[in-house]
Amino acid sequence: MGWVFISDRDNDGKVEHIYREKTDRRILKKNPWRDYRLHGTVLFLVIIAELIGTVNIPITKNVAITIMPLIYTIMLGLIFYLDKNIRWIKKKQARIAEGAMMLFIGVLIAKLAISSGQSIHLIFEMGPALILQEIGHLATILVLPIALLLGFKKESIGMTNSIGREPNVAVVVDKYGFNSPESRGVFAIFIIGTVIGTIFISFLVTLSLSFLPLHPYAFAMASGVGSASMNAAAIGPTLAAFPGLESSIEAFAGFSNLLSFCVGIYIVIFIALPITEKFYNFLEPKIGRGSLVKEKEDDDNG
Amino acid sequence: MADFIDGSENVTVHGIFNWIRLLIIFSVITVIGNYIGYKHPMTDSLVGMGILSFITLAGVWMERELPFNISSILYISVIGIVLALPVMPTSEFVLYYVSKVELLSIVTVFLAYVGIGMGKSWDEFKALGWRAIIITMLVIAATYFGAAIVAHIVLVLTGVPAV
Repeated sequence: MGWVFISDRDNDGKVEHIYREKTDRRILKKNPWRDYRLHGTVLFLVIIAELIGTVNIPITKNVAITIMPLIYTIMLGLIFYLDKNIRWIKKKQARIAEGAMMLFIGVLIAKLAISSGQSIHLIFEMGPALILQEIGHLATILVLPIALLLGFKKESIGMTNSIGREPNVAVVVDKYGFNSPESRGVFAIFIIGTVIGTIFISFLVTLSLSFLPLHPYAFAMASGVGSASMNAAAIGPTLAAFPGLESSIEAFAGFSNLLSFCVGIYIVIFIALPITEKFYNFLEPKIGRGSLVKEKEDDDNG
Repeated sequence: MADFIDGSENVTVHGIFNWIRLLIIFSVITVIGNYIGYKHPMTDSLVGMGILSFITLAGVWMERELPFNISSILYISVIGIVLALPVMPTSEFVLYYVSKVELLSIVTVFLAYVGIGMGKSWDEFKALGWRAIIITMLVIAATYFGAAIVAHIVLVLTGVPAV
């Protein structure tokens, strides 16, 4: 029975298990579909968001910030959870939402995959760009000196080796141990990324589309950052900025997502982490500072 | 992690029905949003969501039942790509109906769940301090720009015309 080792307490270094356990824990234990307050609230948020629609705020003559319905739903969702007056969205609903989300990623991926299949010829024409842009993710290591200047020590290795989503957390914990400073660093990035990541990347992409004269396909490929929700938030403004190219942009986002899942993790294990460590050992004696940041109590939330 | 599953549960029909019900709820919400936002006929987009849900279901089921350690994301991607390949007899049907569901409609609903789910991390988030927040934003920006700039350079070097 496959389930026996799926629910194994020890995550035997198989990174995908994190997603699976999370989904299964939430979805199989309860009857999540029965929580009509959660789903009713989501329906309400979606209706509001779609009725408001996309809003363009012009900054200069050629530059406008586009705020899309997806921003409203994510912000309203967070506000509904945090608002003490809204009693029917509590921790339990947040857990169910989190578990359900792991399943709903599939629908998103399926939609992207269908666009990819439809435009399969693109992968043969633009394969090199797709593969090499995965290497571009190594740019996170450039943030390491700033982390050192801000007073982080070994935490900075966990913080800057990658974007710090679930698979990356698993890799770092696996390599350095749960209570290591490196793991503390990647946990911090994970939690902050969870809360601000989607909103931040959506504004980042909107601004980049206005200011950076890059190829539309480059924006599409870059949206596969290795996190399904950030990918979703990044692709929205990209689709809106290039009308007429929807299916190619979706296709590239799908391919790049697929690639991130297949090879992204190995790039972190075999390239990103070793480079980050070497860079740290080289830089730390030069610009490292006395530990400014007080040691926080251990994060024991995976 | 306090609430690890205790191993006493099985992937049974019960679990599969939970997935199906959740996917039905998700589909209905998406179709309503899709209608308000893009005016696509509800019946067509419902069929489209049915196809996407079916692929998802197949993917998560295969992840748990097949003896390979492969993420459902990969199964779903492969099934989706194969069904939509221009040489496949299924492609016309699948493309017609799935094109009635805008990606952004799915994303909007998906991110509502994300928004509610991430509230749970709010207290931990507040405890982390501004330095870590700055680093997180820089890391996300670096990943994005790194990939975008490399992709752009390679696209230009390989002579892909700007569209």
